Amino acid sequence: MSAPAPLLINGVEIRDSFAEAFPMAGTRLIITADTPRWAHTAAASLTGFATSVIGCGCEAAIEREIPADETPDGRPGYAVLIFAMSLKDLKKIVPLRAGQCVLTSPTSALYSGLEGGSAVPLGKALRYFGDGHQMSKNLGGSRIWRIPVMEGEFVCDEIVGSTTAAVGGGNFLILARSRPAALAAAEAAVAAMGQVRGAIMPFPGGVVRSGSKVGSKYAGLIASSNDAYCPTLRGIAKTALPAEVESVLEIVIDGLSEGEVADSMRAGITAVCGLGAAGGVVAVDAGNYGGNLGPFHFKLHELMAQEAGR
Amino acid sequence: MSGFRLTLKAPLSARVDASSLLPEALAGVSAADVAALTVPFGTGVALVGDLFEITAGSDEAVVFSGDPRLDYVGSGLAAGEIRVEGSVGVAAGAGMSGGRLVISRDAGDGLAAGLTGGRIEVFGSAGKNVGGPRPGERQGMRGGVVSIAGRVGDGLGARLRGGLILVGGDAGAGAADGLLAGTLAVAGRLGPGAGRGMKRGSILVTTAPEALATGFAEAGPQDFVALKLLARRVPELAALFGGTLSGRAVRLVGNRLAGGEGEILVLS
Repeated sequence: MSAPAPLLINGVEIRDSFAEAFPMAGTRLIITADTPRWAHTAAASLTGFATSVIGCGCEAAIEREIPADETPDGRPGYAVLIFAMSLKDLKKIVPLRAGQCVLTSPTSALYSGLEGGSAVPLGKALRYFGDGHQMSKNLGGSRIWRIPVMEGEFVCDEIVGSTTAAVGGGNFLILARSRPAALAAAEAAVAAMGQVRGAIMPFPGGVVRSGSKVGSKYAGLIASSNDAYCPTLRGIAKTALPAEVESVLEIVIDGLSEGEVADSMRAGITAVCGLGAAGGVVAVDAGNYGGNLGPFHFKLHELMAQEAGR
Repeated sequence: MSGFRLTLKAPLSARVDASSLLPEALAGVSAADVAALTVPFGTGVALVGDLFEITAGSDEAVVFSGDPRLDYVGSGLAAGEIRVEGSVGVAAGAGMSGGRLVISRDAGDGLAAGLTGGRIEVFGSAGKNVGGPRPGERQGMRGGVVSIAGRVGDGLGARLRGGLILVGGDAGAGAADGLLAGTLAVAGRLGPGAGRGMKRGSILVTTAPEALATGFAEAGPQDFVALKLLARRVPELAALFGGTLSGRAVRLVGNRLAGGEGEILVLS
């Protein structure tokens, strides 16, 4: 009995593995400002230090830039997505970050980018900064708050909706012949995935170089370096890397739904395969925990079946 | 279609209380049933059929031919639509909580008194106390939208608690008396004495009021992001002021004599 033929796309092996992901609570915020620069500054601040719930309490990133004519107040804007492990955590982290990072940012305003689900407080919590001088307006079907600040007024919606159908921890690994090749492939993937709405890559620049495994030899550490994918440990630890692989980068994806995570993964892997073996990419793999921890399994072969012509 | 057209047989010789002639009350009944209903008429009552010619409507709305003595049209309306071809008397739309009332000409005093929801459109002018409290109540309109193309009389938005009133023309004296919350937008001139006892809420005007009630402090000009937001979320607000709001306005805060922090925004 012969083994099934490996799945190859443009010379890149798609390994028969799957990404194991978890349910999360998530929401979308829209940030505007007088200029794109300051809208980006507020969005970047809001989503800073939000790579992993393990250490940051949430995962967040900019979803996309929004042209001025599409934002609530007609100014340049950005949409950001924020995810937490529970609705309770989300309701705590969103107003906390909004208060510290958006309320404080010059010319910014903050609006709901998601309707429905449980209401997450924005102005409902931030209004107290106005010390009694805050004003609300309930027009056009929603309530806004105007909070006086030294620069003028901070405007924000009272609440934003949320979803508990969000999925966090979608991922794939890029196994490459060299560090530059791995980085180029990761950059191509992030660029392509940036076109998929409803999903973000929360790590720096969308890319993780320090993928982790569960547990550690040190008591108290819940995660540690994924030694099976560390090229410098080949020969002393059980490895998942063929000899020609010198560098591995991971991309982690959170989405407002399972389908958006799948779409994002597909877009990213397709971009990686577009560079192909000629671009130094050897294989695409995925991280999982044996399938026993997360209910969402994104099987690489199923995701890429159409692209592979299967 | 279950709507009706109620056409006056003759100009009314006494005041009529039309508050019972609502779409939901007339749904599923025949024209003969409607004709057999009674309405308060002067000091007595009259059969609806004696006052109106009743025919099937072209849609589910109740359509009246108007008369300045036709009072309480749409009062208590919770759903559905009432259209009036002509003018109405007092208290049109009073206590409405939903639905739509459209008046093609003028409305009398007490339009939208105690409104909590729904929408009223008047294509002519309106009398005194638009959006004020209903008799015996402490608060005026609490929600909904009222749009008046022409001018309104004295006492606009007295003790207003919420919602939006748009006035295309001038407003009489004493607007926003004791206004608690909500928004008045007046494209014309605001009459003397506006804002007495105003606590919160906003008045949007394009012309600085000449004789505002004592107790307002000028905070100066500002670029208000909130105005840009409202212009997009409430397009009719922008339309009232020519289709767009620059966001720039001078803010007058008051009424400080009442400890209030309401505002009059004089739009640039």
